[in-house]
Amino acid sequence: MTAPAAEAAEPPVIALAGVGRTHPGRPPVVALHPCDLTVHRGEYLAVTGPSGSGKSTLLHLLGLLDTPTTGRYELDGIDTGSLRDRDRSTLRGRRIGFVFQSFHLLPHRTAEENVVLAQVYNRSPRRARHTAALEALHLAGLGHRTNALPGTMSGGERQRVAIARALVNRPSLLLCDEPTGNLDSANAEAVLAQFDALHAQGFTLVVITHDPSVAARAERRVTIRDGVLNEAEAVQPAGDAR
Amino acid sequence: MLPEPPSRLSLRDLLSEALSGILQRPGRSVLTMLGTVLGIGAFVAVLGLTATATGQIGERFSLTKATTVTVTDRPSTDGLAPGTNPSSDFPADTDRRMSAIDGVQAGGVWWPVPGSPVISRHPDGPGEGTGLSLLAATPGAVAAMEPTLSAGVTMDDFVQRTAQPVVLLSEAAAKRLGVSRLDAQPAVFIDHVPYTVIGIYSDVRRQPAALLGMVIPASTALERYGNPAPDADRGVQGLVATRVGAATVVADQLPLALRPDTPNAFTVVPPPDPHSLQDTVTSDLTGLFLALAGICLLVGAVGIANTTLVAVMERTQEIGLRRSLGARTGHIAAQFLAESTALGTLGGLIGTGLGVVTVVGVAAARDWTAVLQPATTLPAPLIGTVVGLLAGLYPALRAARTDPLTALRSA
Repeated sequence: MTAPAAEAAEPPVIALAGVGRTHPGRPPVVALHPCDLTVHRGEYLAVTGPSGSGKSTLLHLLGLLDTPTTGRYELDGIDTGSLRDRDRSTLRGRRIGFVFQSFHLLPHRTAEENVVLAQVYNRSPRRARHTAALEALHLAGLGHRTNALPGTMSGGERQRVAIARALVNRPSLLLCDEPTGNLDSANAEAVLAQFDALHAQGFTLVVITHDPSVAARAERRVTIRDGVLNEAEAVQPAGDAR
Repeated sequence: MLPEPPSRLSLRDLLSEALSGILQRPGRSVLTMLGTVLGIGAFVAVLGLTATATGQIGERFSLTKATTVTVTDRPSTDGLAPGTNPSSDFPADTDRRMSAIDGVQAGGVWWPVPGSPVISRHPDGPGEGTGLSLLAATPGAVAAMEPTLSAGVTMDDFVQRTAQPVVLLSEAAAKRLGVSRLDAQPAVFIDHVPYTVIGIYSDVRRQPAALLGMVIPASTALERYGNPAPDADRGVQGLVATRVGAATVVADQLPLALRPDTPNAFTVVPPPDPHSLQDTVTSDLTGLFLALAGICLLVGAVGIANTTLVAVMERTQEIGLRRSLGARTGHIAAQFLAESTALGTLGGLIGTGLGVVTVVGVAAARDWTAVLQPATTLPAPLIGTVVGLLAGLYPALRAARTDPLTALRSA
């Protein structure tokens, strides 16, 4: 399971042009000032910033869970501004894989069933679902625990089930919200190693975190402070040159 | 337009998601269903029991009623001294005239003996039997009452023709007067005159008033006590037992057969139409019970609505997750609607089962024939479906309106 390699003619996965979000009210609250951001296929981007800085707003906009008040957001070259809710849902299910801080696994379903759930809404043929789920679980390093219930798993294992669920549909974008926020350092390291591996396979990752050590693993970082997005100086981790 | 087809939730996936939602919390699902189970169980049981009971009423109660014709006579008192009773319009050979009509099994006249005779076991007894009803009846009337004799014989034409001083005792009267055996030809004294007890009856099919009294031949009563009183309560009455189905025809013919010269002297009361009688009784009761079953169903619906609403609130995160996995608002609504509908249907099925078991159990305990109308029993589970569907509407709408953003944030 590998994401297609970047091509020159291919549109970027994420293209934000003057995207901003203002919450109506008196006075109106600017959660995100208009910003530009382009993420190409295969990139590994970290968004950092203190809490309340507008990280979550950006995540929700990127994940099509919220709509910008200004600007234009193209996902895989598709202008998302004019889409109705059903099309936004379709894009979410097809092209974005979410990894949440609190995992969001259904407690009464096994690891495999939780991964299968991601294929229920996108017209995947029934018979192929279990094969795809097992493949994704192997990819996430959980091939030995496919029948375990979330309650019997460690936090790291649960997050890897969530990662398997996020990538089972081969999304264009893996959107991770504080993926290590609920994990101890050993488990966090395992999850980050997993991200490195996925990045090496060509997946596009956007990780939102307040933890500098998590952000340090990414090849590119942007920071948000008081709703203003800034490209940080590119740091090239050793052995991960692009 | 998007390059890919929109999200979809296939019917099979919808059903399996709904079912797993129900099975996740089996205990709660059962409790949620309880109202529907009770409501539909009550519905099926009430309809079944009413139908069963009606069937029994039809067999026992109306059969006697439908074969009974009564004739009342209002003889004129014109030109008679006050206190004198007029003679009856019934001819002397009433028994023969009645039984000559096709369809009549037995018939005759009877009346309560006028005055309040002293009845006792001994010639100068204390009158321990006073107050027991004393009836005068022709042999035909006695036969039409269809007494069940526990001892002795019934009245025949001989005692009527010769006005014998004999008496038939009911078991109640026999007990009161201390008569238990007939082999010594015991007598009871009515106004200090001895009457030989020829028989004791334990039951009558018609004229239950006779169960608390005794019967003497009509001719004997006429001879000793004169004409019956002309009023409605104590007047002379004709009693006819007919074959099944013949009552109406017999009733038409009776006045002419009795008195071709003055058929209008009699008022003939044919049996009430058994069907209309049953229908009124049944529809009243059924309406009441069905109203109760309806209330049960309403409570059941509220129960399902409530639990589904709680489930929606509990599962906001799941809703958010499903939305992030591509579910459209309609898919979320459909899932919760399917869950509540499945709960309602399941409750309906269980309720119908319990209702049927109740009806069959009651019928078996009472030796009745269980009657279940397929027209009401078979669609009963569907009522549960409708209840579940209606109860799920609001919660499903709430679930669909849940903002995925808030749902995912409430971690």
